[in-house]
Amino acid sequence: MAETDAANTDAANTDAANTDAIDSTDSIVSMRGIGKRFAAVKALDDVSFDVKPGELIAICGENGAGKSTLMKILSGVITDYDGTLAIDGKHVRFTGTRGAEEAGISIIHQELNLVEQLSVAANVFLGREKRTAFLFRDDRAMQREAGALLSQLECSVSPSELAGTLRVGDQQLVEIAKALSLNSRILVMDEPTSALTESEVARLVRVIAKLRERGTTILYISHKMDEVFHLSNRIVVLRDGRFIAQLNTPETNAREITHLMVGREIESLDLGEKQSRGKRLMSVRKLSLPWPGHARGYRLKDISFDLYQGEVLGIAGLMGAGRTELLECLFGAAPIVPSGQIHIEDRPIRPRHPSEALAAGMALVTEDRKRLGIFTAMNVGRNITLCELASMRRGLAVNGRLERSAAISMVDKLQIKAAGLQAAITSLSGGNQQKCIIGRWLLTKPKILLLDDPTRGVDVGAKAELYRIIRQLCAEGLGVIVTSSEMPEILTLSDRIMVLSEGRQTALFSREEATQEKILEAATMSNHAMF
Amino acid sequence: MNPTAQTLPEKAWDLFKRLWSSVEFKLVLAWLFVVIATALLDSNHTYWNDPRGSSELIIRRTVLLGFFALGSAIIIISGGIDLSSGSVIALSATVFGSLLILLDPNGFRDGHLSRLAVVLAMGGTITVGAMIGTLHAWLITRIGLPPFIATLATLVGLRSFGRGLTPTVTTGGKSQIDFPDKLLRDALKDVTTMSIVFIVFAILLWFLMSRTVTGRHLHAMGGNEQAAKLSGIRTDRLKWLAYVLGAVSASIVGMISFADDGSAKPDIMARGYELNAIAASVIGGCSLQGGVGTIPGTILGCLFLRTVIDAVSKVVGSGADVYEGMIVGIVVVLAVTFSQRGQKAIVNRYFNNAIGWSIIPVLSILAGLLMLLFFGKQTWYTPAHAIVAGLVVGGLLVARGVWETMSEKKS
Repeated sequence: MAETDAANTDAANTDAANTDAIDSTDSIVSMRGIGKRFAAVKALDDVSFDVKPGELIAICGENGAGKSTLMKILSGVITDYDGTLAIDGKHVRFTGTRGAEEAGISIIHQELNLVEQLSVAANVFLGREKRTAFLFRDDRAMQREAGALLSQLECSVSPSELAGTLRVGDQQLVEIAKALSLNSRILVMDEPTSALTESEVARLVRVIAKLRERGTTILYISHKMDEVFHLSNRIVVLRDGRFIAQLNTPETNAREITHLMVGREIESLDLGEKQSRGKRLMSVRKLSLPWPGHARGYRLKDISFDLYQGEVLGIAGLMGAGRTELLECLFGAAPIVPSGQIHIEDRPIRPRHPSEALAAGMALVTEDRKRLGIFTAMNVGRNITLCELASMRRGLAVNGRLERSAAISMVDKLQIKAAGLQAAITSLSGGNQQKCIIGRWLLTKPKILLLDDPTRGVDVGAKAELYRIIRQLCAEGLGVIVTSSEMPEILTLSDRIMVLSEGRQTALFSREEATQEKILEAATMSNHAMF
Repeated sequence: MNPTAQTLPEKAWDLFKRLWSSVEFKLVLAWLFVVIATALLDSNHTYWNDPRGSSELIIRRTVLLGFFALGSAIIIISGGIDLSSGSVIALSATVFGSLLILLDPNGFRDGHLSRLAVVLAMGGTITVGAMIGTLHAWLITRIGLPPFIATLATLVGLRSFGRGLTPTVTTGGKSQIDFPDKLLRDALKDVTTMSIVFIVFAILLWFLMSRTVTGRHLHAMGGNEQAAKLSGIRTDRLKWLAYVLGAVSASIVGMISFADDGSAKPDIMARGYELNAIAASVIGGCSLQGGVGTIPGTILGCLFLRTVIDAVSKVVGSGADVYEGMIVGIVVVLAVTFSQRGQKAIVNRYFNNAIGWSIIPVLSILAGLLMLLFFGKQTWYTPAHAIVAGLVVGGLLVARGVWETMSEKKS
């Protein structure tokens, strides 16, 4: 391919781009005075910086710092903004993603954009389908080419598989393959590793290295300091919608970046004295969830554990291990009623609907915030009070004052950043939306809090805050079950760690005996030998 | 900006902007515009000469639409759709008539029904409404049919059921039931009584939707059903409530329409009304995606729709009922177009691409034909009027398209 040759010449120039001097003459992207408002919230304010060809720039910042908004402007998703944008020194103003694609910019969103009912190849060539001489759709050529692109990306899925059946990591590679097929010179990746397992992350890192060899310029949004330092050659820090600093990666360290991001230094994540464990809150015995029509026959098999007051039980496991399914079973939200016994404070319960679990003192913060958590048509206040409205009544009617004070109590307790209770929930950053949902459940005064990957897509500063909140809730006597796709998080938070693998419980560690290696070993343990 | 430093005109402007963002305010303004325009354009000056009669007619139509439009709106807000209300109205009128025959056959023949029979028949009809709502809720929540399919089935099925019922209960196997009791009929079709019942009904529903926990939950379920369920909301029960309210409100209309029309003809009665109810809800600000909408907005939507229909009939003269469907269609398209404005981009580009340019002759020809249809019988009309109207509309649209293209180039 001719393009690859041209790209390789670009790659030769990369070294020059690492120098300190910033002038926009040889920039591939230059932003000047970019600003954007959402109603009352200033998402971006006068942001200017340049990107040299072939660079990998990491964009760092807390929730609501404006990283995603900036990237949406760059990729033509948001077309209504202040300031100017130049590609290759030429002023541009995209009217949609098409325009950005033509200029060679592709974005891999945090929430992937695939048509689940179409094949991988159809997704890669969506809107640019290949045709045969008679104008018929040329599926075979598309599959061949998509297959070639995917194998370059170490992705072993077949191009004829439906996109919806793939794992998140593979779906992401399909999006990258799409960007490659567009010959994109500039690739924006918005927190690409937030839903990946460790091996998938390793594969992504190799893919990124390959892309850079071809001369692709990458703008990489992440909160994960190890990734940022491993991958990038320059780091741009945003805070509260403003440009704070840009630093050459070799000349800085994680501590400095974190400091710039939050405006204060985060001391070590020491969460204080471990709580002494109280009475038993919940016991689960031989919980199984059948999976009709699947070779394995079950989603969960013979899960047994106890949960005590004031402790955090961490649930570790790879994707598809059954972490979410387990929480759904406990909360009465599973599509099929599971077998086995669940006792809460020694009373047997068998929740068939979340309302029964709620009445028994449980609360579930779901993994998929956008689809299962927030109500986009409602404002911040109403999103917070929804579960506990019945207690804010005077007579038959909901009392505005009681409702407001309940919502404000949670905004204060969890330090939710919003332009008032009337603000649209969608105007908040992901982390603040998550806090609203946690607040919604705390108002119900639960005994047991189930948190399904609560810090997914949440930055360092807000993460530490969430950890502190979780610890504080334990001190108040709650029992917390938390799942996470990040090993260090499980190790930091949990008093005990249960490991799931393919729907079975493969280990239960105390905090003292748990290590990353032991957890990983248990999480990858195959069940086939057990039969 | 410091709010205390605002001058009076600034405050007024702020208030206007806040009001302008509500559907209700815009509808009131649009309604006033239509009323004033009709008063000026109508050559018979009906609104000046007979304000009482004119307003009574509009109120009667608005109330009859309002009852089941409110039920429809609640279903739409809760994330569903009800296509069956026209058929439920027809069936309810038939059931009401049938129950009167069965409960008091002699009174039905003589035209003097016993009060007990009337009360029981009304209760029975409303119960039938609740049963239909329950059927919808069961089909949707337990069988798992999409609301569109479930209520499409009853749209077709219930009207046919009513047609089968009529000859079975009437003597001589007639295909319609005539309203028997003149006193009862006058009481039921009296516009004051009707309006009072409607106002009470509307206030109750407004209270339900905007002041109670159940109302909030209905909004939540319409906005995000999965999240609502995971928040411990009993979504199945809420759906039952919404569909029962929808069907019962249509049953009430069925009884009043029976009196208003003087007979229950299940084959033609209230045919297509379900779409008027959906249209009124959408004009009143309900989103068919669910989760968004208000009771006052829906009432104003009904009032606006009926006023526009009335206005056209005043201007056009006799035979205007032919255009009712067309007016509903146009008003819905305009209402939704204007409520979507400005959400996507600074300039809405309606005409500056291939589809946009090719719609301009279609709309121009339509404008010319409407001129002919509406004013063809007027003494001043000549074919030149229709041609000029078509050319003017075409010219304006082309100008808009050119302006859109230029504004695109500029940015």
